[in-house]
Amino acid sequence: MNSEDLIAALSRDVPPVPRHALGRRVGLGMVVGALMTLVLVGAMGLRPDLMRAMHGATFWIKWTYTISLAICATAATLRLARPDGGVGGWLRLMIVPVLGLALIGVGELAHTPRADWLAMWLGASWKVCSRNVFALSMPIFAGLLWSFRRLAPTRLALAGMAAGMAAGAWGATLYCLHCPETSALFVLTWYTLGMAGAAALGALLGPRLLRW
Amino acid sequence: MQHEDDPLRALMLAGLAGDSVAHAALLRALLPALRRFFRRRLGGRDDDVEDLVQETLMAVHQRRATYDPARPFGAWLYAIARYKLIDRYRRSGRTTSLDDLDELADDFAFAEASDARADLDRLFEKIPQKQAAVLRATRIEGLNTAEAAERLGIGESDVKVSAHRGLRALAARVRDSLR
Repeated sequence: MNSEDLIAALSRDVPPVPRHALGRRVGLGMVVGALMTLVLVGAMGLRPDLMRAMHGATFWIKWTYTISLAICATAATLRLARPDGGVGGWLRLMIVPVLGLALIGVGELAHTPRADWLAMWLGASWKVCSRNVFALSMPIFAGLLWSFRRLAPTRLALAGMAAGMAAGAWGATLYCLHCPETSALFVLTWYTLGMAGAAALGALLGPRLLRW
Repeated sequence: MQHEDDPLRALMLAGLAGDSVAHAALLRALLPALRRFFRRRLGGRDDDVEDLVQETLMAVHQRRATYDPARPFGAWLYAIARYKLIDRYRRSGRTTSLDDLDELADDFAFAEASDARADLDRLFEKIPQKQAAVLRATRIEGLNTAEAAERLGIGESDVKVSAHRGLRALAARVRDSLR
């Protein structure tokens, strides 16, 4: 096909592109994925004391942590979805919630007898927590992969990592509805590990799955 | 906006708004610039050049939603072209240092963008003055129909008709210049 014919063919169909088409597409992929994750969380069971927990501080500390990470990673994903997009400072900004939660964790240690430290850190569910966060992020990650099919990332590993991290952090946010753990150090370790796993998977798969 | 003087950007924005004439004019205006870009880097393998030009045009068309109007058009375009070039190297398994390639491409990107701009300035000279003035006012400076009508001292419907004819004329000139 010569280039002139190609242009003629391409110009036959030029639907208007809404102003925030890219954001909408990424949002749609994430929301559809998150709905599936929500169904899974429902199947695992909401924490029985959810209503009471929402009036306490620890629930909101956990959400502040996971949601702020999710926002940073989503913003980075949106930028990396454009061919000429860098990451801005978004990925680096994620150090702020991590340090913040670490600070709260140190305060926690100071108020807990040394003998109870290990029990607090491991909670009742350390063996499954990271795995659950990782698993719950997968539907959201899949949604983002769908979004990316019409986008144009040029730094594939980085874009994959940002998408994986966004999926992990939103997955963790929804996992908070199930998980009754209250310790900041618990969240800092096991939640973060699950999210990092999702980010690593994204970095690994990005160069293969995000090509266009 | 700092990039309002870019005629390619104006065509891109019109295309994003659903104007297929402007979209076609844009793709045609990109042909020579993209051919130069790839030819310089592929050293005379003309089939490959045209392949990459077409792949880039298709990406510009299919992935146009990824263009951010607040950013320069040239940066977006050459990021796509550069990606397609690197992807081609990867696919063919050629061992080229991608770092070098990036650097090379950056060196040329600016020149390419200014070339493309000059190309469009020349095209504007070839269409009737009124149409060129209307296009500059509405598509490049971003005035709305009423503002452009007032600035140029003509009726609003005249502005609309002139803009439409102007884009058509531009597209025709681009076609001619490639023949």
